[in-house]
Amino acid sequence: MLYLPDWATDYLKRADRGLGTPLALYERIKGGMRLAAVDREAVAAGLSPGQNLADARALVPSLHTRQIDRPLLEAAFADFADWHSNASPLVAVLPDQGLFGDLVLDVTGVSHLFGGEEAMLRALLGRLAGIGYRVQGAVASTVGAAWAVAHFAPNQVVAPADTEAILAPLPIGALRLSPLQIAGLNGMGLKQVGQVRGRERKALQARFGLSLLTRLDQAFGMLEERPVPRLPVAERYAERRFADPIGLMDDVLMCAHDLAVQIGLRLESEGLGAQSFHLFLYRVDHKVMCLSVNSARATREPAHIARLFAHRSERLGGDYDAGFGIDTIRLAAGSVSPLDAVQVGAFAAPDGAQDLDRLYDRMASRLGTLAVLRTKFSNTHIPERAVQLEPVIARTPDDPQAAPDPGRPRPLRLLPMPEPIAVTAAQVPDGPPAGMIWRRVGYQFIKASGPERLAAEWWRSGQRLQLVPPVKPDSKPGEVPPYLPQLPRFDPEAQTRDYFIAEDDGGRRFWLFRQGLYGGAAGPSWYLHGFFS
Amino acid sequence: MSDLARQNRLAALRTRIADIERRPALAELGQTEAMAGGFPLAGAGLSHEIFADERRNSGAVLGFALGQARSLLGGARQAVVYLQMLAEAQEMGLPYGSGLQVFGLDAAALVLIRPANMVELLWAAEEALGCRAVAAVVAEVAGQPKILDFTASRRLSMRAQSGGASVFLLRYGRWRESSAAHLRWHVAPVLSAPTPFDARAPGASRWSARLEKGAVGQSHRGEWMLEWTENGFQAQQTAGAGWDANAHDAPLPDALSARLGHRLPQAG
Repeated sequence: MLYLPDWATDYLKRADRGLGTPLALYERIKGGMRLAAVDREAVAAGLSPGQNLADARALVPSLHTRQIDRPLLEAAFADFADWHSNASPLVAVLPDQGLFGDLVLDVTGVSHLFGGEEAMLRALLGRLAGIGYRVQGAVASTVGAAWAVAHFAPNQVVAPADTEAILAPLPIGALRLSPLQIAGLNGMGLKQVGQVRGRERKALQARFGLSLLTRLDQAFGMLEERPVPRLPVAERYAERRFADPIGLMDDVLMCAHDLAVQIGLRLESEGLGAQSFHLFLYRVDHKVMCLSVNSARATREPAHIARLFAHRSERLGGDYDAGFGIDTIRLAAGSVSPLDAVQVGAFAAPDGAQDLDRLYDRMASRLGTLAVLRTKFSNTHIPERAVQLEPVIARTPDDPQAAPDPGRPRPLRLLPMPEPIAVTAAQVPDGPPAGMIWRRVGYQFIKASGPERLAAEWWRSGQRLQLVPPVKPDSKPGEVPPYLPQLPRFDPEAQTRDYFIAEDDGGRRFWLFRQGLYGGAAGPSWYLHGFFS
Repeated sequence: MSDLARQNRLAALRTRIADIERRPALAELGQTEAMAGGFPLAGAGLSHEIFADERRNSGAVLGFALGQARSLLGGARQAVVYLQMLAEAQEMGLPYGSGLQVFGLDAAALVLIRPANMVELLWAAEEALGCRAVAAVVAEVAGQPKILDFTASRRLSMRAQSGGASVFLLRYGRWRESSAAHLRWHVAPVLSAPTPFDARAPGASRWSARLEKGAVGQSHRGEWMLEWTENGFQAQQTAGAGWDANAHDAPLPDALSARLGHRLPQAG
């Protein structure tokens, strides 16, 4: 657990060297301007968060002030947190304690790399202090205890057995409570954690709510608390650190290939393959870039993984910015599943499926996952819903019930959204039209067949169908047309469709439908939905 | 070997060379083609351009391309890759899984790729042509993109040739640029034949297809009236409209090869 009390001001000072001290950030609360964060010098001058800005200016005439930009600070802190994943794979920010300032690192199984928990804490604190952040830290067996110790008795490692003893004398605020709860407890004379710990739980819950007990239990390890990691946590990764930072994408990709070889060997020895790979690039200026690629089937072949990253990096284009260089690269493998060794060579059958999956992986890594699609049928008779396009990479099992009925003629091309047409001389009540005007061109139909009636699905009455709304003749160009079927969400008559196949004098075959029935409240409207060959 | 046998053999070889010279596209590839209902189907590893006069004929063009691509599926080649720019979907419509069955194409065999721009579309086409498991690449090309110049089409042709998959570029408009495609078709929909039960209902799909460049089988610049049957294309007997090259199964007369004047398949 790391606590950076002055992170906001320290960060701004680092980003903008010209910023003078003492510095205070203010925000508007209920019409008044109050201090939200103050730096060390301001605290020394007697300022504190929550103070009125005018009072603060009067107290310290040399005060530099700035309005707080929370989204900017939160984004910067997120980057800062990600950068810490070079120390531990699980790094989290505690959102209920404010989105900047507190940083949780899971050091389980990691600390020995730094020479023990004590040494790790010193190393982490030292490197932050070295670049100008005021930082306090603690290592403890629970998030709650670590938070308490980092805030109120910082810079120590708490052994699990000592947790009770060390927490007991800490002030009640160490339990991550709301100001109201703290004031209430103080008013009752309960000022230390140890005093609350011995109390009867029922009475505490009745007076201060369940959250007090939850926090108490979390601090003492009765209740498990799992911080949500900022980056995907991978069990298997390989990394390389550079004495001199590198910057070129080609170097990064070459390194990615080397790491893919390492991780491939490791997966092979375990008999596994992975489907998602993440490449973390740690920049020297405390930012992390993450490139992710996915594979349609589990793989561990280094050349393939490296090629996916090469394609992915081409999509990156101008977004790639190495800053002052990259000093650590980590390749993590996720979504692992068993993968048996495959014999390659003499007796390998040429299996096209694998080649295809490779092809789709490459395409998806360059064009994006949503650009490589397959057809999936779903069990409905509304044409645009009967076929869904799903990414090839994220294939879901087919529904055997959903296969289309070969007896029903369906067009070769379907417009994603049906387009409104004006028809001439349609036979009332349910005959085909004699002609239509579509995209300002008139068509005369020679032949037509139909109707094929498709009723609206009453069980999906909450969803309207997506249609291109017809433009009213008197609307101005550029005006957004109103959503035409201003109908109730479900109206069986108005949403019934009659489909026709109509062939014009040039031999073009269209699939069009009339939505609604003649004589209904809204009247029917005609749409073009597809083309036959 | 006797003199006579040698003479015969020489003569046979000469005829073969002459034949190859007349059909350069095939000489490069050595592919075989099958006749389907009187319509010669081009073999694998060719690049086709299929032109329609207008965009509203997009259905006919796609049907023609898929009808040809279907014959290339088989063995390890299991997939047809369809490429269309993302922005074109509402303009032209997307291939509809339920409608593919009419063309004997399993919807699972068709993969749709939707790149954002023409550069990526061409990249994806080349990438797909290099894959051993792809039977055909059907690419929708809207308008006359500058980037699809002679060099680009030459690249596609060579990729198709070396990879063994065919590429079909679906083009719209009357303008023809020079391109390195092996075959160029012009396709238009034709009024369908009456169905036996309902004279007013549209029947099976029909096309008029004209081979504008290259040669398939014995046919140079043929023109066919095609109808789709469950067995594939079926050429219809048409009287007068162009000449049906299938009637000339005998070796072509010398005069014809001179008239073709079309030795280089790449020059357009």
